[in-house]
Amino acid sequence: MRDFSYFRAASTEEASRATLDAGAMLLAGGTTLLDLAKCGVTEPDTLVDITHLAGLGDMTVDANGATIGALAKMGEVADHPGVKAAFPAVAQSLSLAASAQLRNMATIGGNLLQRTRCSYFREPGVFPACNKRNPGSGCSAIGGVTRNHAVLGTSRACIAVNPGDLAVALVAFDAYVEMGRRRVAIEDFYMLPGETPDWETVLKKGEIITGIAIPASPAAKNSTYLKVRDRQSYEFAAASAAVGIEFEADGKTVRDIRVALGGVATRPWRARAVEQSLIGTVLNVEAVEKASRLSVEGAVSHGGNRYKIELAPRVVARAILTMGGLA
Amino acid sequence: MTIMETRKHGDAADGMVGGRFSRLDGKLKTTGGATYALEQPVKNLVHAVLVQSTIAAGRVVAVDAGKAKAAPGVLSVFTPEDDLGLLVASDWFGNRPDNQPFHPLPREVSFNGQAIAAVVAETLEQATEAAKLVKVSYEETQPVTGLDDPNAGEGRLVDMLSVGWGDAEAAYAAADIRIEAEYRTPREYHVPIEPHGLTVKWEGDFLTVWEPSQWTHGMARTYAEWFNIPADNVRIVSPFIGGGFGSKAMGYTYSAVAAAAARKLGRPVKLAVTRPQTFTAYGGRAATRQTIRIGATKDGVLQAIVHRGASETSVLADFPEQTGAATPLLYAVPNLSTQHRLVPVNTVTPGALRAPGKNPSAFGLESAIEELSYAIGMDPLELRLRNYADHDYQSGKPWSTRQLREALTVGAEVFGWSKRSHEPRSMRDGRQLVGWGIGCGTFPVLKAASEALIRILGDGSVEVVSGAIDMGQGTYTILAQTAAEVLGVPAEQVDVKLGDSSLPGATVAGGSMLAGAITGAVHKAATAARDELIGLALNDSNSPFRDTGANTLVIADGRISVPRGEGPSLTLAELMSAIGRDRIETQRNTLPEGANGPEDHKRSWTTMANIEGPTAGDLSMHSWCAHFVEVKVDEDFGTVRVSRVVSAFDCGRIYNPKLAESQWRGGIIMGIGQALLEEGLIDERFGRVINNNMGDYLVPTNADIPHIQVISVGIPDHDASVLGGKGVGEVGIVGVAPAIANAVFHATGKRVRDLPITLEKLI
Amino acid sequence: MTRTIHLSLDINGKQHELDVEPRVTLLDALRESLALTGTKKGCDQGQCGACTCHVDGKRVLSCLTLAAQVEGRQITTIEGIAAEGGDLHPVQAAFIENDAFQCGYCTPGQIMSAVACIREGHAGSEEEIREYMSGNLCRCGAYNSIVAAVREAAEMAATGVAAKDKAEVA
Repeated sequence: MRDFSYFRAASTEEASRATLDAGAMLLAGGTTLLDLAKCGVTEPDTLVDITHLAGLGDMTVDANGATIGALAKMGEVADHPGVKAAFPAVAQSLSLAASAQLRNMATIGGNLLQRTRCSYFREPGVFPACNKRNPGSGCSAIGGVTRNHAVLGTSRACIAVNPGDLAVALVAFDAYVEMGRRRVAIEDFYMLPGETPDWETVLKKGEIITGIAIPASPAAKNSTYLKVRDRQSYEFAAASAAVGIEFEADGKTVRDIRVALGGVATRPWRARAVEQSLIGTVLNVEAVEKASRLSVEGAVSHGGNRYKIELAPRVVARAILTMGGLA
Repeated sequence: MTIMETRKHGDAADGMVGGRFSRLDGKLKTTGGATYALEQPVKNLVHAVLVQSTIAAGRVVAVDAGKAKAAPGVLSVFTPEDDLGLLVASDWFGNRPDNQPFHPLPREVSFNGQAIAAVVAETLEQATEAAKLVKVSYEETQPVTGLDDPNAGEGRLVDMLSVGWGDAEAAYAAADIRIEAEYRTPREYHVPIEPHGLTVKWEGDFLTVWEPSQWTHGMARTYAEWFNIPADNVRIVSPFIGGGFGSKAMGYTYSAVAAAAARKLGRPVKLAVTRPQTFTAYGGRAATRQTIRIGATKDGVLQAIVHRGASETSVLADFPEQTGAATPLLYAVPNLSTQHRLVPVNTVTPGALRAPGKNPSAFGLESAIEELSYAIGMDPLELRLRNYADHDYQSGKPWSTRQLREALTVGAEVFGWSKRSHEPRSMRDGRQLVGWGIGCGTFPVLKAASEALIRILGDGSVEVVSGAIDMGQGTYTILAQTAAEVLGVPAEQVDVKLGDSSLPGATVAGGSMLAGAITGAVHKAATAARDELIGLALNDSNSPFRDTGANTLVIADGRISVPRGEGPSLTLAELMSAIGRDRIETQRNTLPEGANGPEDHKRSWTTMANIEGPTAGDLSMHSWCAHFVEVKVDEDFGTVRVSRVVSAFDCGRIYNPKLAESQWRGGIIMGIGQALLEEGLIDERFGRVINNNMGDYLVPTNADIPHIQVISVGIPDHDASVLGGKGVGEVGIVGVAPAIANAVFHATGKRVRDLPITLEKLI
Repeated sequence: MTRTIHLSLDINGKQHELDVEPRVTLLDALRESLALTGTKKGCDQGQCGACTCHVDGKRVLSCLTLAAQVEGRQITTIEGIAAEGGDLHPVQAAFIENDAFQCGYCTPGQIMSAVACIREGHAGSEEEIREYMSGNLCRCGAYNSIVAAVREAAEMAATGVAAKDKAEVA
């Protein structure tokens, strides 16, 4: 890691001011920041430690939904009885992520900002070309080993996958990211790479994620997060799906359904086409499988990641069928 | 002379040989007290960090170290410009060119990730960051990146690996049933949890190296030759090794760099290879491909095996990963031909990784045998038993012991093989497809000499001393058991000192040969100590046994007494006190008389030239195993999970079943990783392994591993070793990957012939 | 120029004073500055679990924690879990009894993780133990024995076989 200075912010305001300096970065759980600092991807001059700030780790869950402070740890949220009851997919997305140790360290705010696992992004000394790290330098991944790269939302500038699990569940249930007084729907929080893959979220210099808010909904309450990967544990998703379903009073007609994908796209990916085609229908295996294929409309393969285009709809279908009692 | 009666293994909980004695080093390892190479408290230490090449082939034109040198705390930057004054050292067999200079930081780049510079600074952080500031300019040439590179060619036939008898081609052509298939394995890596590295200190012309070492004496020789100093001037200290699996049996270029830097700077140097750097600082298992053709009769009698294999090696040195290593051994076949080719590519020179050769070889053969079973429509267990080899067809010699039939039958019974339905896709557990498969394994008995020192101390305690090492196989523990049994004392009373090249000589902890070699030496030295003690007890003028009229004495449970008689009974401490001795020391080795001089010692302890292969004598000696595996496959996702394993082993007599079972499971688990997860992903544009970390090169987690039942069906084999054991460590992995591939075929009807079996190959 | 800061760290109930650069991780501070080498460096990237220790009783990875971040927190390492008199922690004893390691290098991390796993209540079944111990890789492949050891120690803690031990585990 490049040498940096370190100080503990006494308040959110002080932290916010400090990050206006070029070269200053906030330090929370550190699991992404210190990892990337070791890789030489991030080279902060100053780390502003916010882990000691009071109040930013609070959680409340009530009939309206959940508000979760940015400094709440992944593990705390995963184990929170209220979250587990009202937002099973959210709790599962967290408990299926990383390891118990990392979940004790990483914060919810930091988790939303975790960076891609693209191998080319992570080795700046070897692969100087990376538009995400160094705008305009090119993309080393295109034409390389792309087994873990995105098939959705890619551009000619970047095919790096967003590795998040939590954000996928949040996107499905229309959560908000709170940055002090500013509040942004999480789907709008993440940006497509386009020509500027270095610009990943709408977070502005000096802004701090202070928390997330997840509105309660019957679909969120009846939800699941399904994560498929090579290894049984401690691995990012090859493909994942957050799905929640609300049925009509008849118990079988779909009133509301939420579908989002992870591990396959450059940002957490809401699959509205799948949702639209199933709302108002009674689920059956064939219809669900057909609808799920809409989740990868427009997908582009770069060779090694071709399997994701086949895999993702199957993950979506299984998650829907599971919640529909058909799996 | 004391005659020891061999006890049946596996049934005792005490510290005698065969007992399930807990690890002697358990307390140190569970309390953080076991000190590994980079943890030695050495004063005035500085830190070295490597800079590796970012191209696969070409030449270093210039190294701009200006910024690095100006960085805080930096003491020196070593580059190809620096002549470190080293000489090329011997290979494993003791062959050495005369006075050839050795440049561990070369100008010519032959693989991506080759060390070309090193930065030394006061702190680890300073050296790490300054290493990023070293700018290297290259003149690139076109690399050959792997076996599939169009410029790689067919490679060179390695004549000495060709094996054949009968007329395999003709017999294959004439066979009723013929199968042919190509099998492939990728680059695989050791990934010990302790990354490589070393701490080095010079005192004048004397060099101390704390480095994880599977072979302290062999590595000491290497350093002495690099620096052209007497062998006795080098001391390798390696009491604990955080996993080796074949990767820690030699000094590597970074070892030379660290030692040379320490000499130039006049300060001790610590060099920690980073986890990403470990993927190219030394070689893993080479990628292989092999084509197997098997001809058989309609009722499943093998007629011919024709095998053609190839492995990649580096452009710097030959390291054949012998795809034909297991092919001639497992089955009775009247006609056989195997050949192996070596294909040089721009990679780090591959190395020995758990069961080199035997492992990929068995993947090919044991997959092909099950393919044959489906071609014939015969149960794969029955096919294996029908073609059981009653002797070694390759050497023509009888087996010493071969309980492979028992492994197959006992394993099958415990696993419940008879309940299997043969048709693929015929077994299910809910949504999941279920598959059962078998894979057999073999590994040769290699024999080597070693030396040990036994001390009986005045307090009655015993010390076993040897330069042999323990990287987790349990050397400390089984040597305590061996000495305890011979000397009739509780194992708790025995201390064992290992892992230091200044101690008595020992062969490499590799090829599953150390346990057999070093228990033999300890047994011999302990027997001599016992005889000496009894002699003193009978003859010393102050001994209470002198006037008993006994002509021998027995030692048991730490007491010495007259056999079957009334008379004195003393603890060893009481006897030592009575005869006025504070120690009895005996040092013995297992070299033959007449070949036991200093040159013989050097050759035996520091090279592999004297190691005897499995057919050096009148018999053919090998360890054997049979794995029975159940997999569950989610067909929608292509994910395979191993749900059950039963493995039966013939490794001869087991000195400590508790430890041997751990080692077998460890091999099986590494085999599960090999089958389902492990693959070095090479970017062919750059010839670089891009998943060079533990988040991307996946090894199994706890959640990937079901309960694994291991069974010993071995019988003591005293031709293989003094105490009757055969090798344990390597054979466990052999046959696991094909067992899983066979189970996946049984589950899904899809035959995956290239490892690992990842989900995209099944959806 | 290199900036150093003074830290006072509470490790295993003792205060340790040190002057380090802000970029020094807790792992390197323990191993390089404080001679507490029981905590192991396996990957230095948060991918293996060998460096697991406890901060305020929770298991964390010391390779991705700055030493400066944990000033004022209670840090526990493998050197600090046995009883004062030297009696092994039940998890340590269970690891030895079940042969839950070979080379021993991942072992301190496994044990620190296991102690926390039991305390968290994630040792209820073998399946749960496997999942919650998956952040600690073991290349020697001691997983079966690790699960057995954790299970045994958890049962001891639950049934209060040894009251003293229970207090430490639970």
